[in-house]
Amino acid sequence: MTAPVTTPAARRASGVFSVFSAFNVFSKKAVVPWLFLAPGLLLALVFKFWPMAKGIWLSFFDVRPFLGDQWIGLDNYTRVLTDHRFQDAIGHTLILGLGQSLGAILLGFVLALLLEGQARSLKIIRTAVFLPAVTATAVVGELWRLMYYPTSDGLLNSGLHLLGFGPVQFLDNPGIALYSTMAMGIWIWAPYNMVIILAGLAGVDRTLYEAAAMDGVSLWQRLRYVTLPAIRPALGIVLTLAAIRGLRVFTEVYVLTGGGPAGSTEVWMTRAYTLGFTRNDIGGASAASVVLLCVTLLLTVTVNYFRKRGDVR
Amino acid sequence: MRDRRRSRRPAALLVAATLAFGTAACGSGSGSAGSDDPNTLEVWTRSNPDAAATYDRVFAAFTKKTGIKIDYQPVINFDQQLQSRASTKDLPDVMINDTALMGSYQSQGLLEPIDPATMAGGHQITDKSWSSTVGIDGKHYGIPYSRQAQTLMIRTDWLKKLGLKAPTTWQEMLSVAKAFATEDPDGDGKADTYGMVAPGSAQNGYAAWWGASFLWQGGAEIIEPDGRGTYRPAMDSAAAVNTVTWMKNNLFCGDNGVTQPGALTAITSTATNFQDGNAGMYMTGPYNIVTFDQTLGKDKYEVTPAPAGPAGGDVLADGENVYFGAKTGKTKQEQALAAFLISPEGQKIAMTSVDGHQPVVRIPVNSTLDAAKVRGDARWSVVQKAYEDASQQFPNAPDFAPIKQDTADALNSIFTYCGGDVRSQLGELNETLAGDLKDQDLLK
Repeated sequence: MTAPVTTPAARRASGVFSVFSAFNVFSKKAVVPWLFLAPGLLLALVFKFWPMAKGIWLSFFDVRPFLGDQWIGLDNYTRVLTDHRFQDAIGHTLILGLGQSLGAILLGFVLALLLEGQARSLKIIRTAVFLPAVTATAVVGELWRLMYYPTSDGLLNSGLHLLGFGPVQFLDNPGIALYSTMAMGIWIWAPYNMVIILAGLAGVDRTLYEAAAMDGVSLWQRLRYVTLPAIRPALGIVLTLAAIRGLRVFTEVYVLTGGGPAGSTEVWMTRAYTLGFTRNDIGGASAASVVLLCVTLLLTVTVNYFRKRGDVR
Repeated sequence: MRDRRRSRRPAALLVAATLAFGTAACGSGSGSAGSDDPNTLEVWTRSNPDAAATYDRVFAAFTKKTGIKIDYQPVINFDQQLQSRASTKDLPDVMINDTALMGSYQSQGLLEPIDPATMAGGHQITDKSWSSTVGIDGKHYGIPYSRQAQTLMIRTDWLKKLGLKAPTTWQEMLSVAKAFATEDPDGDGKADTYGMVAPGSAQNGYAAWWGASFLWQGGAEIIEPDGRGTYRPAMDSAAAVNTVTWMKNNLFCGDNGVTQPGALTAITSTATNFQDGNAGMYMTGPYNIVTFDQTLGKDKYEVTPAPAGPAGGDVLADGENVYFGAKTGKTKQEQALAAFLISPEGQKIAMTSVDGHQPVVRIPVNSTLDAAKVRGDARWSVVQKAYEDASQQFPNAPDFAPIKQDTADALNSIFTYCGGDVRSQLGELNETLAGDLKDQDLLK
């Protein structure tokens, strides 16, 4: 956002004569940028801010559009926060969110290191590796469902079969299902992180590598003392994105397991979805979503705080 | 810098406010043009494009006869869409959707009450069907449109190859399932066949929907009316414990291959093993007959009554009702459409398949019609007989959605953890169900 140029004189005047400042507000210069922003703002207002405000509003009601919504204060929140299935979902959400985010960052980093460079073949491989990030999650879910097929006909199980291991119930075993979902999540998000880290790697000063090589550092030392510090900003972005995205995981779980078996992959958003659309409790679902919004906001702000503090240092 | 930013704030607010008014004006202006026309009815059904093609024919015939136009919307995620329409207080005029949702819609005030006596052609609907649309306050809130009961679809070629007969009891069904799983009925030399299909996921309540027939056959109920307008949860009864224990021990925790792999996370759209030709039995609704005829072939399977359990052979009956949206102000036109939909003419169009599209009326609610005769297909008499003589619906008066979902969650969990104690898990379910009923002020 670049501000329109105002002369120092005008700026001084606006502080002294409030009448002039009101005039100044409606002057062409002040309005024009907003007019340019209007289409975007309009879209954001209609499709983001208004539904969001409405969701927060509804979370204080027993929602019954045709019988009249009833104000019930914080009841929805107490109900959601004391519901043992939501409490179970918190654990699953944290495991899945953390595991998926860290796994995707780690894998993204490794992929970026492997695929950095200008060669034509690398470009093709990079495109291929990036494909999961642009494929619809529903399609990816169906794909992984087939790969996880619990007999030796399934892709993964046929591999295990060759190695002499019995078929693994990837999705039907409540102890494994969450981790199977996590693996798919990492597969989807790693390429995305890879691209951001690649951009970071491209900016690393080559002479540093040469200097390090002359000093005879090990591979690990080179990563730790040259590469990682140099791609700090890229890692910061990747971490912020992960913080925003990690906890609101929904589609991956919904298409792969639907929260089952026995609720072992139920996460916060699938639970909220069930509450809202299977049990028709829109108020409760809104409250659950607001709680998630607050936690996500807090997490994002925290990550950003540490990132900025690190940048200053 | 700071005061300049402040001076621009009013401008921002102004733009935002203009935008807000602009959109509000757009919101009230658009969309209402069609629904304001008294001669056009907005009709929603929960249908995929295949079934929607059949509805198109039905509504075209209606418009030709009465001149009333239909703005037809087939909606797949019906309840999600309906909730958002409800929040704008502008409901579709007529909805055709599952019987089990009536209590839920009525409790939210979405439905207009209906008087069967003034309904043209209403006398051609049996009392049994009409009784399934009575709400909690004793008024009718839906008009029966289509009914169905579950039957057992079974591979006749596999039975013949293994020298077996179609099962009539649970025990026989179990041994047939084991034979299908182990004796290589498709003759390819590989152990890649399964006894029966079970959509056992808790998603959308499937485990309860599919498991209900077993519960009825075992003499169990999910909730029971006590005759005074209230209910009590009944999943801790001895019959329920025995039935669920039998299902768990034999279908999910017993021999491999009795049910299809992945049954615990399968919903009906992913449980395609019967039509794919690697599972031999499927207890399901007759809407699948058209699909199975096309994918598997008519000569490969037959439709048989469900095997009986210790308490009989009752299966889950369900179907669709016609509902009138609340406060639409078009009662006359809506009644005309409903009268056509339940008339012999309307039902016949909806029961027949043109160009291989799925019929939308399974068992006709109009008692002057016979499903097998209209279709020229004797298999439908099995379904009609099951519906008329040996079927039971989910209770229609209460809001059954949370009850079904909680039951499905519990059943799915019981079937998943083979080491668990069924009695105590069902006891927990019973307490949850009591809570659901209490939320609706329906607990005894």
